[in-house]
Amino acid sequence: MNYEEIIKGLHPLEVKVLLNFNKGDPISAKNTMEKLSFLQGQCNQSFSWLSDKQFIEEKSRTTTVFVALTDSGWEYREKGTPEQRIFDLVKSGEPLTLPEIADKLNLENKDVGSAFGSLSKAGLLSMNVEKKASIADASKTDGIEKMKKLLDLIASKEQVLEKDLSPAQRELVQKNSKKRGSGGIFKIIEQEEIIYMFTDTGLTVKEKMKSMGITGEEIGVLTPEIMTSGEWKTRGFRGYNINIPPARVLMGRKNPYCEFLENLKNKLASLGFEEFDGPLTETEFWNSDALFMPQFHAARDIHDVFYVKDPLHAREIAQPYLDHVSSTHENGWKTGSRGWQYGFDRDFTRRMILRSQGTVLSAKTLPNAKVPGKYFGVVRCFRPDDVDATHSADFYQTEGIVLGEEVNLRNLLGLLKIFAEEVAGATEVKYVPGYFPFTEPSVEVHIKHKVLGWFELGGSGIFRPEVTEPLGIKVPVLAWGLGIDRMAMMSLGINDLRELFTFDIENVRMRRRK
Amino acid sequence: MPKIEIQESIFFKLLGQKMKEPELVSILEGAKAELDGWEKESSILKIELNDTNRPDLWSTAGLARQIRALLGKGIKEYGFLSRKGDARDTGNRAVNVDTGLKDIRPYIAAFVVKGPPIDEPFLLEIIQSQEKLCQNLGKRREKIAMGVYRADMIQYPVSYIAADPDKTSFVPLTFDNELSLREILKQHPKGIEFGGIVENFKKFPFIKDSKDDVLSFPPIINSATVGALQVGDNHIFVEMTGPDLDPLLLATSITACDFADAGYEVLPVKIVYPYDTPYGREIVTPYYFQKPVSLDAAYGSKLLGEKLTAEQSADYIRKAGNPVSVEGDKVVLTPVPYRNDFLHPVDVVEEIMIGRGLNNFEPVMPMYYTIGRISETEEFTRGLRDIMVGLGFQEMIYNYLGSKKDFIERMNLPDEDFIHISNPMTENYAVVRKSALPNLLASEAVSGNAAYPHKIFETGKVVCKDKSENYGARTFNSLSFLVADREAGFNDVNNAVSALFYFVAREYTRKETDDPRFIKGRTAEILCNGKKVGIMGEVHPIVLSNWGITMPCACAEIDIDKLKG
Repeated sequence: MNYEEIIKGLHPLEVKVLLNFNKGDPISAKNTMEKLSFLQGQCNQSFSWLSDKQFIEEKSRTTTVFVALTDSGWEYREKGTPEQRIFDLVKSGEPLTLPEIADKLNLENKDVGSAFGSLSKAGLLSMNVEKKASIADASKTDGIEKMKKLLDLIASKEQVLEKDLSPAQRELVQKNSKKRGSGGIFKIIEQEEIIYMFTDTGLTVKEKMKSMGITGEEIGVLTPEIMTSGEWKTRGFRGYNINIPPARVLMGRKNPYCEFLENLKNKLASLGFEEFDGPLTETEFWNSDALFMPQFHAARDIHDVFYVKDPLHAREIAQPYLDHVSSTHENGWKTGSRGWQYGFDRDFTRRMILRSQGTVLSAKTLPNAKVPGKYFGVVRCFRPDDVDATHSADFYQTEGIVLGEEVNLRNLLGLLKIFAEEVAGATEVKYVPGYFPFTEPSVEVHIKHKVLGWFELGGSGIFRPEVTEPLGIKVPVLAWGLGIDRMAMMSLGINDLRELFTFDIENVRMRRRK
Repeated sequence: MPKIEIQESIFFKLLGQKMKEPELVSILEGAKAELDGWEKESSILKIELNDTNRPDLWSTAGLARQIRALLGKGIKEYGFLSRKGDARDTGNRAVNVDTGLKDIRPYIAAFVVKGPPIDEPFLLEIIQSQEKLCQNLGKRREKIAMGVYRADMIQYPVSYIAADPDKTSFVPLTFDNELSLREILKQHPKGIEFGGIVENFKKFPFIKDSKDDVLSFPPIINSATVGALQVGDNHIFVEMTGPDLDPLLLATSITACDFADAGYEVLPVKIVYPYDTPYGREIVTPYYFQKPVSLDAAYGSKLLGEKLTAEQSADYIRKAGNPVSVEGDKVVLTPVPYRNDFLHPVDVVEEIMIGRGLNNFEPVMPMYYTIGRISETEEFTRGLRDIMVGLGFQEMIYNYLGSKKDFIERMNLPDEDFIHISNPMTENYAVVRKSALPNLLASEAVSGNAAYPHKIFETGKVVCKDKSENYGARTFNSLSFLVADREAGFNDVNNAVSALFYFVAREYTRKETDDPRFIKGRTAEILCNGKKVGIMGEVHPIVLSNWGITMPCACAEIDIDKLKG
């Protein structure tokens, strides 16, 4: 047994009991209260703890009966019992009817009735022919005197041992004691006294405590007062049980998914990319037309884009971009393309929708972009989709561009390699030809991740001249997008996309870093 | 993106060799295709095609054709194609177009094939490529609808006419009784599915032969007689109709080449128009309409980051499956008849990349030095988030879309200034949020079992209609927070707002206000330089009970963009 650990965990009350009694001493609530100024509750508490630890054991158990006054008892002692008062009233005046007595003494009729009954039984009073109580024999006050004496006796000591009373007094107490549910003059209190003694273990602990110099006066809670008084210099400190189960702390914390996105942004900024952002409602112009997706493109109908009910249209599309883009669609404009060979709809291009792809913001960045320049965005996009564990209608896309005279396919591959290694922690990288309406050539990057295995990290390419030139950019532009949801879910330890945006407070509070 | 199922036996026969899975996966990359599955028992390969501009790859024959080229097996030439001023013989095979179709569905293209009797797998293959072409390239038959017929039963010339929908009737495929064209739109499953394409016209497109036998009611349904192709047929008439000529001619050439690859003889058909078309009033189809594309070898080298001569470039382009010639420093690609995706010389550059193989390009590190940074708003918002966390709030993140019930009705708000979606998939994602408070209350509503107090916040975007904006709406960044506890009240949010404004060094004042979401007399507008930047208060019991919340809640919401200034 590790006594030091046990001793450290002892409550000061336990310590006091252990230190202040000796081998063979009877330990009871009575003598503990006297000796250590404990309250009854403190005795019960410390004896219970010490018994549980088997430092003390019960030796004997005796029941002591006390008699004390009830509230009525105290009142009778003050004013006299109803019997006394009725006798005194009748004796000092003329005979009275019982209701008259009740009225004069301010007593209940029934109490007067029962008191008269016992006075008449004792021969003190009797009922005369006029139905009035009158003195029968004024000398027979023995009963009244005895009660008065008993009340005085008990009142003077608060409570007396039942065994110290005479048999006659005991009988009087029995007759007038409080019964279940009704009043009475006396109450009988039974007190159980248990005598404990130290066990061998208890004595060992006591010796150990002595040798450790424990006095029971050690400081528990360190207070400003103890600091001010300097008391801490002379008193030791009570050791605490450091293995106590800790309570839960409800703390403020960032959302792990937000932290993931924050880290992603930091990473991209550290690679020299400047962040862009934009509104959630967009025009068809920026969402698709500026990206050279023909207005009849399969990915542009109501199954792929959310349309805004009102307002239906933007007021205007900035010039000269509208003219340039429109001509590019129709016949290629000055881009060297043959265009899509159809009539560009200038009303439809103003149609308001919810942004369906992050590339919108890449396109919007072009007119004012620096050359060379690098930009990125982690932005919310919306698409009509049946929402389940792997499909979202409301999700983040990570997109960006690199502008520069010397930008080409090979440094696009280099850039993808950096993303694969720095952002995604890839161990292997593979490039595959891809297809996107707004890039040519297009490349998909697949990576091998140490936990997730092979997966498609993203798509990329060189913006088509039909995208860049109408927006005033003469140099090649690399465009890239990264699919980060799988990595986010892995880092959050979830496998349902919907949980990224959970409403459940406890779910979010309990998430921890992987 | 189209997904097709191909029969292993047909595919490998067309390829002229068998392949194992890893080899197939790797060669498919050159066709931007992925192997989704290989069902060994039924010998079916499931393949996803990523290039939506390459409808020629959406069939077994077309995919095999591309793979053959990538394997170095050369490019086939097809002799049945007519060109401008060079029409093939059509015998008596002709389609006469009615002038009434000009504004309805003006174009038709057709050809006939003869060859071995079709078996079950090949019939399925024909149906699949018809579906893929009409579904994807044809935008659900609007741009292209295709029909196949028993050519033995047809007596030329065929007529493509504009017919009276109520006076014209025939027995459609899968039905036993005659229906008028208008009845077909209402009663036939295909009429119900595709009727929208023609229902607003006074007359409907209709195809019959010279005996008045009905071929079909395009783009809806074939007849149950001539239009019911069966296993064992070896003589097939194929037609396509649509509003634009080029996609129609492309789809026709693709289908004809597929039949030719499967061993069928393709017999051209003459189409006679009573009106002008981009290629004249008489077009013999299949018709080659594509134009050569020229690429400066230096431009290709610049984009690829690899110095390649015109000859080297031409070799790679050829390997990717394209006929090409060299003219000085330029390469000239003559598109194969089944492709029309060369809009710009960059499209030729990609052919070089594919022919050379992406793995033969060495990645190089980008050379530009640029300064990276997060946006000012992001930086400011991060500061606010740190303060909220310091004040003991748990950060949440929510979807921006939600239901009318949650965003409007439960919040006790009138339906004002909300952005509604006109084509929602479900009512759960039908409205864009104007405030994040409903999201916070939704959290509280599902979190009654989580230990209290609840202190949560979110920063994110919200959208509000705004007539002064070009877009008619303003997207802004919002900070919102909620305290829920037995004794949560105005003081909780009031104190947090005070701390927040102190630490971002902004002065603010409060003004009592009425808001149906909050308890009257316990609601304050937050004003910064006299402008309203936010609101705070005790959530009204009507709102709480709408959410099924019994714990008192206090909330605040602040416009980050206005606060940042």
